[in-house]
Amino acid sequence: MAAGRRRSITAGAALLALAGCAAPSSEAPEAADRPWDDVLAEADGQTVDLWMYGGDEAGNAYVDDVLAPAAAGLGVTVRRVPVADTGDALDRVLSERQAGVTDGEVDLVWVNGENYATGRQAGAWLCDWALDLPNREHTDPDDPLLENDFGVPVEGCESPWHKAQFTLVYDSARVPEPPTTLAGVLDWAQANPGRFTYPAPPDFTGSVFVRQVLSSVAAGPGEVPLEYSQEAYDEYAPALFDRLAELDPALWRGGETYPQSQQELDRLFADGEVDMTMTYGPATLTDLVADGTVPPTTRVLTLEEGTFGNASFLAIPSTSGDAAGAQVVADLALSPEQQVAKADPGTWGQFTVLDLERLDEADRAAFEQLPASPVVPPYEELSQNAQAELSADWVGPLDEGWRRSVLAP
Amino acid sequence: MGLRKDPRAPHHSHARGGALHAGHAALAAWLVLPLVPLVLWAAADRWTAPAVLPQAWGTAGLRDAVDAGAGTGFLRSTVLGLVVAALATPLGAMAGRALATHRVPLGGAVLAVLLSPLVLPPFAVALGLDVLLLRLGVPSPVGVVLLLTVAALPYTTVLMRAAYAAHDRGFEDEARTLGATARQTVFHVQLPLLAPALAGAAFLAFLVGWSDYVVTLLVGGGQLVTLPLLVASAAAATGNEAQVAVLSLSSVLPPLVLLVAVGLVGRRARA
Amino acid sequence: MSTRQRAVLLVLPALVPVAAVVGAALVSAVLLSLGLTPLVGQPELSLDAWRAAAGDLGTATRLSLGIAAAATVLAAGVGLCLALAATAVVRRSRLLGALAALTIPVPHLVGAAAIGLLLADSGFLPRLLGVAPGDWPSLVGGQWWVAVVAEYAWKESAFVALVVGSVLASRARSYDETAALLGAGRWARFRYVTLPLAAPALGVASAVTFVYTLGSYEVAALLGRPYPEPLPVMAVRLAGSIDLAVRPQAAAVAVTTAVLALAAVLLALRALRRLSAWD
Repeated sequence: MAAGRRRSITAGAALLALAGCAAPSSEAPEAADRPWDDVLAEADGQTVDLWMYGGDEAGNAYVDDVLAPAAAGLGVTVRRVPVADTGDALDRVLSERQAGVTDGEVDLVWVNGENYATGRQAGAWLCDWALDLPNREHTDPDDPLLENDFGVPVEGCESPWHKAQFTLVYDSARVPEPPTTLAGVLDWAQANPGRFTYPAPPDFTGSVFVRQVLSSVAAGPGEVPLEYSQEAYDEYAPALFDRLAELDPALWRGGETYPQSQQELDRLFADGEVDMTMTYGPATLTDLVADGTVPPTTRVLTLEEGTFGNASFLAIPSTSGDAAGAQVVADLALSPEQQVAKADPGTWGQFTVLDLERLDEADRAAFEQLPASPVVPPYEELSQNAQAELSADWVGPLDEGWRRSVLAP
Repeated sequence: MGLRKDPRAPHHSHARGGALHAGHAALAAWLVLPLVPLVLWAAADRWTAPAVLPQAWGTAGLRDAVDAGAGTGFLRSTVLGLVVAALATPLGAMAGRALATHRVPLGGAVLAVLLSPLVLPPFAVALGLDVLLLRLGVPSPVGVVLLLTVAALPYTTVLMRAAYAAHDRGFEDEARTLGATARQTVFHVQLPLLAPALAGAAFLAFLVGWSDYVVTLLVGGGQLVTLPLLVASAAAATGNEAQVAVLSLSSVLPPLVLLVAVGLVGRRARA
Repeated sequence: MSTRQRAVLLVLPALVPVAAVVGAALVSAVLLSLGLTPLVGQPELSLDAWRAAAGDLGTATRLSLGIAAAATVLAAGVGLCLALAATAVVRRSRLLGALAALTIPVPHLVGAAAIGLLLADSGFLPRLLGVAPGDWPSLVGGQWWVAVVAEYAWKESAFVALVVGSVLASRARSYDETAALLGAGRWARFRYVTLPLAAPALGVASAVTFVYTLGSYEVAALLGRPYPEPLPVMAVRLAGSIDLAVRPQAAAVAVTTAVLALAAVLLALRALRRLSAWD
């Protein structure tokens, strides 16, 4: 009996040890400092598993048909792993990190804000490499979008890929005279019951919308401090939730429920149930109009006070076994040739992270000759008065507060 | 299966026959109706509200599905499904047989354990089990097959236990009396009689491997891009309906072929 | 070798991997929920995650049980009818058997997409019937979770039909014929021959359906609404939180789901033991 118990205790202890009692360090490992030629030499022959959200057909096609062949020219094989949610990639990385794996299956991830911030908590990203990429010289070192990602310093832990702007989208046939400010949008929604709604946070897009309203309600951009503090939350959040609760009965289905994702909202918009939708990735609109998913009269609504802008990045997990190859791919993705190809609305239409002033004549001309999208205005217009994203620490409390105050009061 | 209409069956009044027909029609509608929009979408290039039928027919969905890697995804899913079925069916049949004979000590508890994978929500894999497998150094394909086989075992065990419980041992006893060896009895009497149940069990086990997302992705480490991974990622955005429909319908085909094939084998074996 | 030993040997190859995997999964989840295997910070035994999740656990549990119960009752009823129609001696419908077989391989994710396309406010059905989106009842994302229950009932009815049908096919016909020969009526044959033969399989298939529905995530996430949320949706939302410190709460919800499901399995097994044909 006693022996049996001792054995089970030993087994329990062994399992506990295996399950990993000690958390991995939250400190990010740093890439070795070495000449780029060494990185290129090591990368030759490596296979880079690029995990990315797979719902964007144009993005998949760009990676498969443009980026991967170019990488193959450098001796690096790019394997795209499509996931339904970037969080799935992060889950795998966190598990590998906890298990102490050093030759993991994820080499490169297309991330932005939230997942990057989450990964940073656990030291999931390799740091101190992105600033050393040769093509980095084409970016503006003082570009705020490339310095911070959702208020978390980038610090060379991820390499910029493209820029994005939070955008409201409307059907000009159904809203002939659209509002020009966010406050105006909310008033319009109240005057047109049932024709507007937004995805329920913690959906990424819905969460951005709520923060956008926060900035609008708080007497405009710049008023709410980017850094989160309980005092700032207590000062600004109540007005936000009051405004959204007031709006609630005028929303789709009388506000008794909300779409659970941007995808669901897009479907409502496509089916003509609501007159507006919203996205942090306006690049996809060109395709959605072209294939008839949304009406040809779909337009982007630019707001006077501007909207949040951000950049999305390529990050290398600290568990990657092919980090050199991943760096080569990230550098390639930053090259003027790749950036211009990706910015073509016929390919993917993603806004470049490069500073055109820093390009040579020919490359700049290539960007200037890009065809315009019939739907999405150029970046300069979209990003006018762009606001800086609030820090990631705001996201959790605001999402939770919204659930308690607006969704289920 | 190949039984003709029973001549001894009592005659039916027209009214009862009509009700039966209506019932069958309702059941058929119940099964088919949800698939109708999917079939229409698979052949639609454009279908916007409030049109009842697509405005433009075409093969855009098929093209997108092929571009997304449906071909290799299809092959990988098939292999994964077959491996899981090949492991979980015999294991489930053996366990089902033993449990049906009531000779297993603590049979009730054993059955409860064998059913326990059902109580694990699939996403629970991401809450520590995947870390454990990585720590133990289990190669990812082995991990995927192990977890999916375990997930399939409740289905195969339950089905085979029920089949063995309803199975008439008389035939086997008769065969043994007539001089058949134990092995002959199993392969020539028992298994043919249980062919429909075995086919059903294999089919369900195949589907566990065939339609999994979480384990294949997280434990497989993305090395195994199967059809469900493609479906899930394509279904994560509006505008991919045609592609999702094609991928979905193509994911219905192989199990169906398998079912027909196993059904035919089962019938021949029993004839 | 005694028959007992042989029975044990037959069970072990299935039992060992199942016990190992399920045991490891549950222990890992419990450890995480108790703060012993954090992704960041020092391990420390605490019930904080359980306390934090407790507020919503009651509502989520009731909702999950309700959805699972409704889906199971529907699936069992329709599934039994399908199995009977597909294996009946008289007027057997081969077509229904084939259609049920067609439904089974549809993954739930796809099933949810299909039901959404069918039942949404501007779905295929309201368009077919000429009902405007505003007049169509809120089946998708509505208060009564109709689309979610319908999806589970639809898919699982085919599963029930397969399990019950395969038992009836191997066994029932000969009994049924004998009973008919002895002059038993249609109802009497159903009541005293077919139903007792089908009952154990029906019971176990229903239990499987119930437990599966309780733990499954994607259908409720796609066709449901953001509040209130069933247990698996709550767990996945917490697991995906931007703050890694919230992850133990997800584990607490997952463990709760597993314990509920386990209780359902044990109850079902007890009920089944009472059925003569099962034991």
